[in-house]
Amino acid sequence: MSTAVLPAPFKAEFDPNSQEFSLSGVVRPRSADEIAASISLLRDAINSVRGVFYINVKRLVQMNNTAFHAVARIILDECRTRSDLRFVVVTSSVVGWTERMFGHLNKIEPQVSVEVYDSTFYPGQSFVEDTSFIPILRAQTKMTWRHERTILPRHGMRPGIALADICCGIGDFAVLAQKEFQPARIVALDHSKPSLAYARKVAAEFGVTGIEYTYGDASEMLLEDNQFDFVTCRHSLQIFNQPELLLKELYRIVKPGGRVYITNEKNSHCLGEPRAQSIQWTYNELARLLSHFEMDVELGPKSRHYLADAGFDDILVESFMVTNLDGDPQDFADVIAGWEKMFAAMAARHGEAPEFIDRFRQGFRDHIFAALHPKGYAGWPIWAASGRKPL
Amino acid sequence: MVVAEQQRAETPFEPLLQFEMEMGAFLSDWHHCDHLSTFMARMISHNRTDPVRHSNFFSSALNELLEVSFRGGSSDGSIGCAIYRHEATERVKLTFPCPPGQRQFYQEAVSKTRRGNAYARYLDAISTDFAPSREAVLLDLAINFDAEIHLEENDPPTITLVVDLPLEGIVS
Repeated sequence: MSTAVLPAPFKAEFDPNSQEFSLSGVVRPRSADEIAASISLLRDAINSVRGVFYINVKRLVQMNNTAFHAVARIILDECRTRSDLRFVVVTSSVVGWTERMFGHLNKIEPQVSVEVYDSTFYPGQSFVEDTSFIPILRAQTKMTWRHERTILPRHGMRPGIALADICCGIGDFAVLAQKEFQPARIVALDHSKPSLAYARKVAAEFGVTGIEYTYGDASEMLLEDNQFDFVTCRHSLQIFNQPELLLKELYRIVKPGGRVYITNEKNSHCLGEPRAQSIQWTYNELARLLSHFEMDVELGPKSRHYLADAGFDDILVESFMVTNLDGDPQDFADVIAGWEKMFAAMAARHGEAPEFIDRFRQGFRDHIFAALHPKGYAGWPIWAASGRKPL
Repeated sequence: MVVAEQQRAETPFEPLLQFEMEMGAFLSDWHHCDHLSTFMARMISHNRTDPVRHSNFFSSALNELLEVSFRGGSSDGSIGCAIYRHEATERVKLTFPCPPGQRQFYQEAVSKTRRGNAYARYLDAISTDFAPSREAVLLDLAINFDAEIHLEENDPPTITLVVDLPLEGIVS
């Protein structure tokens, strides 16, 4: 990979293997001469490829007209001399102006097209961003909060801090954290616009102010480096196919000395009595099924490994069991009923046989049975872990 | 047009933030455009629906305006930038020294952003100019940020660009 490093924080790179030229950061030069090395790299890169040339601007935070015109001119000039080559500009829906600006190039040269990479950017996205899941998410947070409110201070949550809740979903954790711990600032980011709309509606109805809900991709955030004292990312590494990418971003935005807190599950350890065998079979199969969607719902105990590999030190790991005895057992049952519906749909999508799906659903129903049984016990284990960004 | 101008003038914009700086100090460092636009965008976006993305959009637009004043500016006098809000729109009023010979240029450039052929002019600028003219920058604001741009008549030697940016609607 060749790299032209310009005055921070702008970077231009070319990866010949993927025929992809990437621009990232903030590029606001006074003249095109200031980015001459990048322009030269772009021109050389185009001349070295055949077929499709990708221009990745999904991590481009700012670009002034001076830089845009310089880059556009190279692309348009090459279009005129390289009729064999197709140019694909890869943008993000988060930074909307890149889609607008680069989209004009297609009006000038049809060889140039724009693709918004995050319309479907991880395998389980359509399930995770399904709005019918919102009531289940609310119930889940209600159940886990009973445990996390006492766990969080051990991991660094305290009043007056700058907090980021990444993959905030419907934003209920951010609201609870604000009420309980009074951070000075809360940014809550998610890639589901319906979930964020719900979060804003709930906040408005309950008179909650001061939470900055923002649309974003957790693996390519607009947030700047070293901004937050405490960054939370709950139940999300396990459903994203590249958890190390998320951790890299979480590491980037937390301040040196600050902590990143993650929670994840090990679904095969969900349990219940009576009907333990049926329950265990289903959750073992669930972990196997979700691996086909590149989700690792067994990630919980691997948290220490992931945090260490991402560069964190002073890693703390603990686990807790959400059970039917924590509060109203019906809440537990409602969550499992939601899981049954969603995961049965995923099994069908994966092409599982009807007999498999029937048995698969039965395990969830037996988990509900255990939760509501007057002498029953039902559990959902979660691993909470955090690491400190070295000073 | 007269009615539209009157409506624009009567819209009750509330002041949010402003700065004033000696032109000599402003012109001493190109990065002032970046720093000022980033800071002001953050400050005024905090209570928008999506503060992070609103700030990103607003910073883009404001930076272009500051760069226009930087490129056309002389070191005498001062630059003033005031930001106002009305509903989903932010209004930027940028006042800076303008040599008499350039007054006509700005009047024409602003007028071209409202003409029917603005988009064709913008595409032409992208495909032919290696470096963007100040006219192309104003077209960019009108086309990519849905900006409405006007000139406020000041006594020479200053000029005031009034730019209405309906970014809340674009971002959210």
